[in-house]
Parts: sequence; structure tokens; C-alpha cells
Amino acid sequence: MNFLIPKSKLSSFLITLLLVIGFSSVTGTAAIRIGSLVDVTGGTSDVGRDYAFGIGEAIHYINDKGGINGKKVKLYQFDYGYRIPEALAKYKLLKRLKVVAVLGWESNDTNALSSIISQDKIPYLSAFHAAHLTNPGKNPFNLFAATDYSTNARAAITAWFDKNWSKHPDFGKRKPRFVASYEFGHLYCSAPIRAIKDQARILGFEIGPDQHVDLSAIDNKMQVLAMKDFKTDLVWHGNTTLSVSATLRDAYALELGANHIVNSWGFDENLPRLAGKAAEGVIGVTTNAFFGDDVPMMDTVVEFAKKYSSGVPIEKRLIWSIRAWANVLALWEAMKRADKAGDLTGPGILKKGFETFNGHDIGLRVPPLNYTATDHRIAGKVTIYEIKDAKFQVLEVVDLKNRWPDKWAKEWLGW
Amino acid sequence: MKKKSIFRGIWAVAIAIFLAGCAGMMSRPTEKNFKDPVITLKHVEVHKYWGWWYFSAKVTPSKGKAGNYGAPLALAFIFKINNPNKFAIMMEEMKFTVGFDEFDLDTVILQESVWVPAKKTTELRAISVFDGRSALLSLMMTGGYRLKEKEWSSWHALETFWIGIPDFSFPVHVRQGTAVFSADKIVRGVPFSATFE
Repeated sequence: MNFLIPKSKLSSFLITLLLVIGFSSVTGTAAIRIGSLVDVTGGTSDVGRDYAFGIGEAIHYINDKGGINGKKVKLYQFDYGYRIPEALAKYKLLKRLKVVAVLGWESNDTNALSSIISQDKIPYLSAFHAAHLTNPGKNPFNLFAATDYSTNARAAITAWFDKNWSKHPDFGKRKPRFVASYEFGHLYCSAPIRAIKDQARILGFEIGPDQHVDLSAIDNKMQVLAMKDFKTDLVWHGNTTLSVSATLRDAYALELGANHIVNSWGFDENLPRLAGKAAEGVIGVTTNAFFGDDVPMMDTVVEFAKKYSSGVPIEKRLIWSIRAWANVLALWEAMKRADKAGDLTGPGILKKGFETFNGHDIGLRVPPLNYTATDHRIAGKVTIYEIKDAKFQVLEVVDLKNRWPDKWAKEWLGW
Repeated sequence: MKKKSIFRGIWAVAIAIFLAGCAGMMSRPTEKNFKDPVITLKHVEVHKYWGWWYFSAKVTPSKGKAGNYGAPLALAFIFKINNPNKFAIMMEEMKFTVGFDEFDLDTVILQESVWVPAKKTTELRAISVFDGRSALLSLMMTGGYRLKEKEWSSWHALETFWIGIPDFSFPVHVRQGTAVFSADKIVRGVPFSATFE
């Protein structure tokens, strides 16, 4: 047993080394916590599910890339079923978990929590892109990596005016006629109406009576007949894909003869599938690329979708996961900057993170991001698409900021 | 003598630790040797049940605020997770969509870590909770065309599901399931699906 007895300094050193190797463990730094509120059971679950998966996949990506300057991110994701009381309850849970930021969802949770997150000074990135959230004077901690609904609506009607009306036989002879079709009283649907009508007046439209269409409606013939009475040239669709597709089908069947522009949550890969021939020529807005488009970062998105949601056929993935990635990538950059500045707090993420962005490019055809202390509109350029042969093609990139600089700077912020 | 005994003991422990480390290296996970775990659905239970009822916002409740309220329903999905590997694996997350007949009503997302020892099977109980109101909105907002094809109203669908579930009188599907496993630096997403009827 003499070999067990260390006889020299070298032996002692080797024992010490072996002990260190045997008993050492990597003492990892605590993870940085981010919260996520999603709807995978309620009225927005069809799109919420894809969005929720996108968040999870994007968080895996940022952890693979070193997290926040070497520190891992831990995601706490909860379904709130589109119920406001549950959104409030889950937010309280996230606070107890000491999250530094929240990835929220749509109008219900974002609106219900807006004053609370301002008080708590927690950055809240939502998929609800209402213009009133872009005014830091009123909602400093609400942000999103997307152009807002009002900017999008102005850009969409402008693109139709530029590209379609100019070729119309009545161009120059009369005013084009415009009607808005949406669910009255719903926050998302009604958010851009004031702005789009303002833009319609600027461009010289005649505006007809709004048509109420329920978000769940699949028979909208009465509304289409009313549009026909007005002889509308252009219809704005402010709803989500199901009822938009139904209105398009009824418009096609009743030979309305108008063009159609659609807001961002009604313009996804399912629209041409549901509306069929009625979708041909429909114009719409998105704030990022469609799933699988050939754009920077899309290969990564697809790779992570296949790896972390392998049970979902890749052909069923939708644009909503890209929307989620956009918010996560923007938050990631903001947190890295704040952390480098030694201030990974809510106000730090806002001031030393987001509000230092100056054309930060995250790929995925999201406009380069800009946030200032007085303006959280990320960009004045919006890409407008048209459906041709059931595929989405770019129709025009409308630069509202350069085209109407005074109005952009002095009038349009926040509505 | 005492000093020699102490050194002898420390040396023995150090060698034992070193050898244990070497033994671990012989069954280390690699991309090549990592076999996908197998996830099967053992059964589904009605975890909690309140029967079927719905109150619209026009009804004044005995207590609390008026609103649109539908009966909750909680289901338990009992899964078996088999680890065919010679090393332990950790399930980092699991998610799946719950379908009643052809309608998706919930997506369960589990984010707690679950270890499965080498060559063993772990059982896991995943709870899905949803209610009549959220299901109504989900059916109306997404299932409109399919309900029309079946000549069902949303209410008929809800009654069929809530009243029929204790007997499992319609198929309950686990759709688009993914479980993410890791072992050392290897991470693998494993798809799964099942039907219980």
C-alpha cells in the first residue's frame, strides 16, 4: 500500500489536482429571467400558438449564441387564455419570478397591463402594434419590433393609390371611393381607422360608411351589398384572417369589383388558402417576412423550428413565429447593450438598450429598428404586398417619413 | 503514523474519484450514440369536472362580477417517456396541442426539467385546463368553416364535448407534440402524437 502514500511534493500536488477535478463543479451564474404571456386556448389561439412557439425557439437561439453577454436567459411562458383577469394574475407571478422584461401578446393583455408596467418600469414587448403605444410620453415601456397599425394602414392605402388607382380608367376624373370593414369596438380592429381615414382624405378619397364585420363572421353578404351600393373602389379589412377571407369570398361572389387592402393580422399564409380565387390581387401589410422567405436569418428560424417544434409540420408554420422572433431579437440586443452599460434593469433596458438603437438590423425583413426618447415608431418605411397566384409579392415600399416629413414628425405620432 | 493514514485515505479517495470520472466517459452522449427517447400516451383522465354550463354577461351571478363564463374542464394526460440510452437524459420542455375531434382547444407547454435515468421509463402527468368561454371563442374564430361543413353550431360542439368527455365519446388527440431532451451538450427535439378513444 506504499504507493498510496504521497512521498513528495509532486505527489501532494497530484492528489490536490485530482481532488479539485473530482469535486469541482461549474458554478454557473444565475439566469436572466424573461416572461412571456401567450394565448394558446382562447379566441386568438390559432395565431397565438405559432407566436408562442416562435418565442420559445428564439430564446433557444439567443442562449445558443451566448445569451446576454454570457449569461443564459430563462423563459417563463404562460398561457392566459385571452382573459384579462388571468393576464393580471400571471403578470403578478412574473413579477414574483423577478423577470426583467415581458414578451406580451395582444390587445387584451397589453392594454390591461399598460399602466401597471409603466409603474413597475418593466419593458413590455407586444404583438399588439397600436400607434398609441409608440408615444413614450404616454407609454414609455410598451415597445415592439414592428411598424405600428396606423403607419401600416397609411402605407397600404398609399400603395393602392400609387399602383392601382393611377391605372384606373376614372383616374383624374373623380375621387376614388373607400370603405372600412372591421369589428367596431375591438381594440385591434379599430386602432388604425382614424389614421387610415385621415390618409384617405390627404389622398383625396371619398369615404363611405364603415361596415361592421364580426371577427368570427363567415357570412358578410349584407355588408358587401352595402359596399356595392356605395360603389366602393377600395375596401380596408381590419379583422383577422377568418372573417377577412369570408368577406373576400362574398365580395367575389357578389362581384363587388373593388380592390382590397388588409391589416397585418388578417394577412397570413392561410388567407389565400381560405379565400381561394377571391384572394387574387389582395393587398396587405406585414411587418416582417413570411415563414420560409429567402431573407437574412430565415435559415436560422427554420432550423430552430425544426429542432424545437419538430412535432409541427414545417409547412404549417406561419408568419406569426417571425413576428415573435422579431420581438425576441430586438429585446436581446437591448438587453446586451444595457448589460454592457452595467444597467440590466427595466429602465436600463429601455434607455441604455432600446433608445440607443439607430437602424439596428435584425434581418427577417423587419425594417431597421430605431427608438428615441420621444418616438418609439421603429421606421417610416413599410413594405406592402400583393397576392399573385396565391403567393405574396412585394408591391411597393412606402416611405411615409420622407414623403410627409412634417406630418410624420409633428402630427402622426401616437394615433 | 497518523499523518500517513490521513494521506493514505485522501489518496484512495482521489483515485476513486478519478476512476469514476473515467467510467462516466465510457458512456458519454454523442450525436451518433444519442437514441431518441420514445414518448407514448398511456391514457387520458378527466382530471376535474364541473359538468356543462354557460352564463352570459346578462346573468347576474350570486357573487362577483357578471361576465361570459363557461364551465372549466381539466384533463390529465399521462405519458410514458422511455430512455433507450446508456446515460441519463433530461427533458427540458414538452408541448402538445389537445384536439377534441378535429378542433384544437388547448396547447400544453411544460417547461420544468424531468430527468429520465438510463434505460428507464418515467411517467409524467400533464394537465390541460380550458373553459367553455375560451373554447367558444376558439371555435368561433378558427373553426367557422369546419363547423359549417359538419352542420354544427359552436354550442352544439361545446355540449357534445363537455357532456361527452366523461365517456370519451369522441377521440381526444395529442397533436403536434414536441419534447426537447438534452444530455451533456446534445439537444434533441422529439416529435410525438397520439389519440385516446
